[in-house]
Amino acid sequence: MKRSDRILDRLFRAAAGPTPTSEMPFGFDTRVLALARESSPNGSAIIARFAQRAAMIALAIIALATAGLYRTSISNNDLPTEYAMADTAIQNDLGE
Amino acid sequence: MDDDEHVRTLVDRARQGDDDAARELIRQLYPVVAKIVRGYRARRVAEEDLSQMIFVKVFQNLGQYSGKAPISHWVSRIAVNTCRNQLASEKARPELRHADLSDEQTAMLENLAASDETLAPDRSLAARDLVDKLLGMLKPVERLVIDMLYLQARSVAEVQKLTGWSAATVKIRAFRARQKLRKQIGGLL
Repeated sequence: MKRSDRILDRLFRAAAGPTPTSEMPFGFDTRVLALARESSPNGSAIIARFAQRAAMIALAIIALATAGLYRTSISNNDLPTEYAMADTAIQNDLGE
Repeated sequence: MDDDEHVRTLVDRARQGDDDAARELIRQLYPVVAKIVRGYRARRVAEEDLSQMIFVKVFQNLGQYSGKAPISHWVSRIAVNTCRNQLASEKARPELRHADLSDEQTAMLENLAASDETLAPDRSLAARDLVDKLLGMLKPVERLVIDMLYLQARSVAEVQKLTGWSAATVKIRAFRARQKLRKQIGGLL
């Protein structure tokens, strides 16, 4: 195993020598810029993303409002009977 | 104006849609990306195509670059992730056999086994070909770690930074990869 290890190390050392030059291919930058522009989000995609966010916010507001209404209705049911009776009496008096 | 400042100016101008600045940025960063792409030794996709994919991602996400780290680090990270995703589906080749090696590669291996002498510099290309064949037996992540540690002579900390792996993961992957390579060489001798 040690022999294989030594061979491997020497092979790596030899292979790690000077690497081929990394010269940019002709027209590479033009192609990259064209592709980046092509695939960047366009106007309709931006509007769609905005609409999606607006819908999420609207849903959150609806959920909060529903929760608030539910809480109010529960707290109204909890009102003592005396208050309800007084309320009815006042309404009757006013009616007369 | 120092280099960092110059690059920062190029990034700012490229963000504002200045094509000349973007081209200059590509020219400056191309060697960094090419080195990483070459290290991956992709089989199904050409080096140039992979580099192109990386640069397209860089420009699509340039707005997210915070400027805290040097741009080359940020681009390297994108390059490593793109290469990893690209090669995720590539399976390791089956075992390497004597018949898969050229005469020159067989002679080189025998030479390495017979003596402790360092290989002559003019054999570096042949050595690289042989290493490529050996690395073809490994999983992409193992190929990456061997390339970075032994061929690019990067430190464990650098590999961590580029891949996002922990030091233990880097070391374990390197250990397993070397184990496989040792076995391969043992089978060829």
